[in-house]
Amino acid sequence: MIVLNLHKTLQSAQGTMSLQLEMTVQKGQFVTLFGESGAGKTSTLRMLSGLMDPDKGYITVNGTTWFDKDRKINLRPRQRHIGYVFQDYALFPNMTVRQNLEFALDKNQPRTIVDDLIGTVELRELQHRKPDTLSGGQKQRVALARALVRQPEILLLDEPLSALDSAMRQKLQQYILEVHRKYELTTILISHDVGEILKLSDRVYEIQHGRILRQGSPETLFGLGQSSAKFRFTGEVTGIRKAGVVYIVTIRIGNDLVKVIADPSEAEFLQTGDKVAVASKAFNPVIRKI
Amino acid sequence: MEWGPLILTLKLAAVTTVILFFLAIPLAYWLSRTTSRIKPVIEALVSMPLVLPPTVLGFYMLLAFSPNNSFGSWLDEWLGIRLVFSFAGLVLASVLYSLPFMVHPVQSGLSSLPRSLSEAAYVLGKSRRTTLRKVLLPNIRPSLLTGIVLTFAHTIGEFGVVLMIGGNISGKTKVASIAIYDEVETLNYGAANMYSLILLGLSFVTLLIVYLVNGRYLKRFSR
Amino acid sequence: MNSFAGHITDIRSSDGLSVITVKVNAVRFKAVVIDSPETASWLVTDNPVQVQFKETEVVLATGENPAVSLQNRVKGRISAIEKGELLSRVVMRTDIGNIVSIISTDAAEQLALQENTEVTAMIKLNEVILAP
Repeated sequence: MIVLNLHKTLQSAQGTMSLQLEMTVQKGQFVTLFGESGAGKTSTLRMLSGLMDPDKGYITVNGTTWFDKDRKINLRPRQRHIGYVFQDYALFPNMTVRQNLEFALDKNQPRTIVDDLIGTVELRELQHRKPDTLSGGQKQRVALARALVRQPEILLLDEPLSALDSAMRQKLQQYILEVHRKYELTTILISHDVGEILKLSDRVYEIQHGRILRQGSPETLFGLGQSSAKFRFTGEVTGIRKAGVVYIVTIRIGNDLVKVIADPSEAEFLQTGDKVAVASKAFNPVIRKI
Repeated sequence: MEWGPLILTLKLAAVTTVILFFLAIPLAYWLSRTTSRIKPVIEALVSMPLVLPPTVLGFYMLLAFSPNNSFGSWLDEWLGIRLVFSFAGLVLASVLYSLPFMVHPVQSGLSSLPRSLSEAAYVLGKSRRTTLRKVLLPNIRPSLLTGIVLTFAHTIGEFGVVLMIGGNISGKTKVASIAIYDEVETLNYGAANMYSLILLGLSFVTLLIVYLVNGRYLKRFSR
Repeated sequence: MNSFAGHITDIRSSDGLSVITVKVNAVRFKAVVIDSPETASWLVTDNPVQVQFKETEVVLATGENPAVSLQNRVKGRISAIEKGELLSRVVMRTDIGNIVSIISTDAAEQLALQENTEVTAMIKLNEVILAP
């Protein structure tokens, strides 16, 4: 269980912001921090991992105090035993994929974990390549595998998939979910993608200006799970066209484009690029074997 | 022309470069990380040799290390080190004089690396020292090479500071640049020309190596 | 989407399906859902719930009590009608608020729909979405 109580004055492009967060993450949970950029999400991960010192507050993990301003306790990042996947991957350019993973090994740690992880994220063919010859998705897999070498109990993911196309995203979401379960991790993710959050997380914290605005299950927070409509997806609006008295809205769901008829009262709030939930009663779709 | 001054020059440049390499890395690392208020002061001091006439540095070192004053005589009596008119003195002077040529490239190389690189190493359980040695330095090889070659070449080209602190003792402190001055003074233009040509060639070749090798690095990284 | 706030008055479940009765003012809506009180905690009698259905699922009828299988019926009067080439958008005022219906223009003309025509809106129970 992770208990955070963080106070920090942050300097940003918009001026100073005071971050005040209190949250408790249960062991084994998959938690997402959601909110605008500059809201303090990355700073929260940095403070949890010891890369940034809070001004006040405490951090306890499974009963051990990692940070306590009043008791002057502050473990160094390397003592905290955390897996951290950076937004820019932070792979070491001078090392091959395999060396990047091996570098992370602790003294006397058996090397079998490296092979195991290379297998899990399917990097065997690429293991002797240098990072600058890899694609974004491949780098992401290396970063994920490297973060898991020391078998941490906590995995922090700072917008790991933001730079990838949607097909690659889906695949990597699968890897993340797989390692989360396989290694029984407590995972904290930063994400802006509602579809991704719905797919991955158990709990969402919406953070705004350094405070928790709302928290809850992704379904309640994004207001579409608590409905009897069973046939539901999230997608992105790619086009809106008026057709007589109604509108035809084209929505990309995963790799598929679907068209949905919308009343003017709904269509006027939509624009291309909007993330939307698409739902229907489960009684409408027909099923045919192909 | 004698080979002595040339060999002495190369020896001085090599020793200076090796000492500076190990001295400049921690200094440059500190400068690239610190948020301390005295950072500008240290940076100014490191850069002083760039703007100061070498004779100024030489003059004060001469005063400081002269056995006629307290610090110099203390060194002489207690440690048996005489820094004036000796090779050790030349090395010390050269180290100070070439300091910015090693510190600047290494510092800018370290500063140009993304912060997440060292942070990734820390959260992977590595110490600062291991991170510097295994992650940071290997990724600034072009900067290290630039520092090494510039220091080497710059030490070869020293004159004023060497003359002040080392004097002109044949076989001991008479380096090539001073030998040239000597030969010209005695109107022996032929020998001066030889020394000069060799220094010219040496400097050109070392600089050429830097640009060739760094060019190759750049190509590799931009691929 | 047409959306009205009501509360649950009856729940009948069988084999994971439930027919829920929701009262919105004086109007009763029935909805069939793939949920039961065991799978959806909000399915409790007297709980507030939103009744939602898409405009295109609203059937319009004129005349008193037409004999059709649709049980969800709301009486009202047309307050606006916008005719397109193929489809028409009908807004009707009812006791529970405005209901929008999208029907074919042919049908609208056949029924001679115009402002102030009295109509009954009907929605099949499998088209009604409930949201807590």
